[in-house]
Amino acid sequence: MKTLIILAWRNIWRNKRRSFISIASVLFAVLFAISADSFERGSYELMIQNMVKFSTGYIQIQDVLYDEEPSIDNSMLYDDDLMGIIDEFEGRISYVVPRIQNFALAANENKTRGIVVMGIDPEKENQFNELSDNLTEGTFINKSDNEVMLSQGLAEIMNLGIGDTLILIGQGFQGVTASGMYPVKGIVKLSVPDLNNNTVYMPLKAAQWFYAAENRLSALIVMPQNPNHTSRIAEELNEKLDNEWYTALSWEYLLSDILRMMQMDRAGSQMIIYILYIVIGFGLFGTILTMMLERAKEFTMLIAIGMKRFQLAIVCIFESFFLSSVGAIIGIIATIPFVLYFNYNPIPLTGEMSNIIEDYGFEAVMPASAHPSIFVQQAVTIFVIALLIGLYPAYKAFRIKTVTE
Amino acid sequence: MSVIKTEKIVKIYNSKHLPVKALKGVDIEIEKGEFTAIVGPSGSGKTTLLNIIGGLDKPTEGKVFIDNEEITQLTDSKLIDFRLKNIGFVFQSYNLIPVLTAKENVSFIMLLQKKSQKEMDQRAEELLNEVGLSDKFNVRPNKLSGGQQQRVAVARALASRPKFILADEPTANLDTESAFNLLDIMARLNKEENITLIFSTHDQRVIERARRVITLVDGEVSSDEHFDR
Repeated sequence: MKTLIILAWRNIWRNKRRSFISIASVLFAVLFAISADSFERGSYELMIQNMVKFSTGYIQIQDVLYDEEPSIDNSMLYDDDLMGIIDEFEGRISYVVPRIQNFALAANENKTRGIVVMGIDPEKENQFNELSDNLTEGTFINKSDNEVMLSQGLAEIMNLGIGDTLILIGQGFQGVTASGMYPVKGIVKLSVPDLNNNTVYMPLKAAQWFYAAENRLSALIVMPQNPNHTSRIAEELNEKLDNEWYTALSWEYLLSDILRMMQMDRAGSQMIIYILYIVIGFGLFGTILTMMLERAKEFTMLIAIGMKRFQLAIVCIFESFFLSSVGAIIGIIATIPFVLYFNYNPIPLTGEMSNIIEDYGFEAVMPASAHPSIFVQQAVTIFVIALLIGLYPAYKAFRIKTVTE
Repeated sequence: MSVIKTEKIVKIYNSKHLPVKALKGVDIEIEKGEFTAIVGPSGSGKTTLLNIIGGLDKPTEGKVFIDNEEITQLTDSKLIDFRLKNIGFVFQSYNLIPVLTAKENVSFIMLLQKKSQKEMDQRAEELLNEVGLSDKFNVRPNKLSGGQQQRVAVARALASRPKFILADEPTANLDTESAFNLLDIMARLNKEENITLIFSTHDQRVIERARRVITLVDGEVSSDEHFDR
């Protein structure tokens, strides 16, 4: 086998210029494919990371009906039993963030507006999404306050400032009328325009009292110590929770719509990459075919002197493999520093694109993902292409005649 | 005992459309240690006969026996194995593997026979010494002259310790000096080591060295002469 490999290796260097061109075509294809894939995945990873970090968390425990119908009536009881289950995961769960959320009407002397009341544990929420960094006026609410924070857009629409009173009217748990008057303690700027124009933050206890939903939560966000263990922890939580009432949902489920959209979007760009590979594949095939035609007589001689057809086929497959893998390996090696650089130094976006992304609360940058699977995927693709191309000369090796009529 | 025996070999090319009868019932027997030249004009069937004897082609009719084993019925895969173990080939255009050195070319056939590295090295060097190429072990074919390449080809043919060597017009591309040089080597191997040689040729220099000359005309043996040389 060693000699067959040496033979194949030397064969590809018979015509150095041709081999260099073939290798270069693979190299640039790999370079392009990895870079394109890396930036695309990097952007998606950042987006997901932002969504998970600032919105859904890694895991949410909810009432089983809440996902289908997110109303206060489908809120869940946050009692000692649930806390006990969470405590069992000590060391694996970093912290939990309780939230109760429902709609209400906000009013002042002149205006009324439909808004979302977010009942939060200020300390935990801040730990989760650093909300206090967005404070533009006043002070951040405390756990025991009976005051609220308004999103900046809402404060402007309602013409309310610090110390003013907000009137809230809504429907609480199981149809109870909810109403109250709350002084404005702070104003926060939220990046997502919809949220910025419609959100009222209220301490959890005050919100539970307002909605007559004592000890109830819309969701309990669970942040694992190691995000890679999310699925396992979610599964274990579901095993321990009373499934009649509770369910633990991972971020993949919570963001499934977005993930599906990303997958569809990725499918398009993957298609372009695969078309590129097909073009490169045909280029390589041409090289291999030329090499074969040039050596038809040599192949006949090799069979004549006693080389077995499968040995000749192995040489042909190795030639195809070497041509493509040398290009792929150099391509991957050349791409690693490039990808790593842009992983640590994402490309800052400018112009309208930047504004749109920032409006959604995300940093307007395009990082490159350095996930090993990107490199592995390219290596596997090249291997498969090499194998497919190598099959033709291998097939020919089995058909070659020792004499021509 | 004959090393090679053919019985009524008929070979028809393109038998379905415009049949060409290349061999018309050739019967020959070649004994061990013979130096035989198969001669004849172009198109007389020399190469066809050599191909059939060498198991590279199958006759349309007739049988070929090598050491009493009929090879015409062997499958392609068994024939490859048979050639590897029993027959050495020397081709008109040398047909060395261009990416291997002279020594590697000679060793290659032993590698196919799964010989040990030590044995391959030893025999390759010994054979290259014998054909006068002791200073060309690590030289690739494109750096060798035609005569030197053909001597490497002879060394390669001998490497597998075959029952006989088939040489198809081995001197056709060589200048006079190289041709004589090659013939000297082959004649010496034939005499000293009793190696059976079968040449197809119309080169007078070869014919003059051969101890048996079989003449083919239009696919038939027209004469079979023995010489005491």
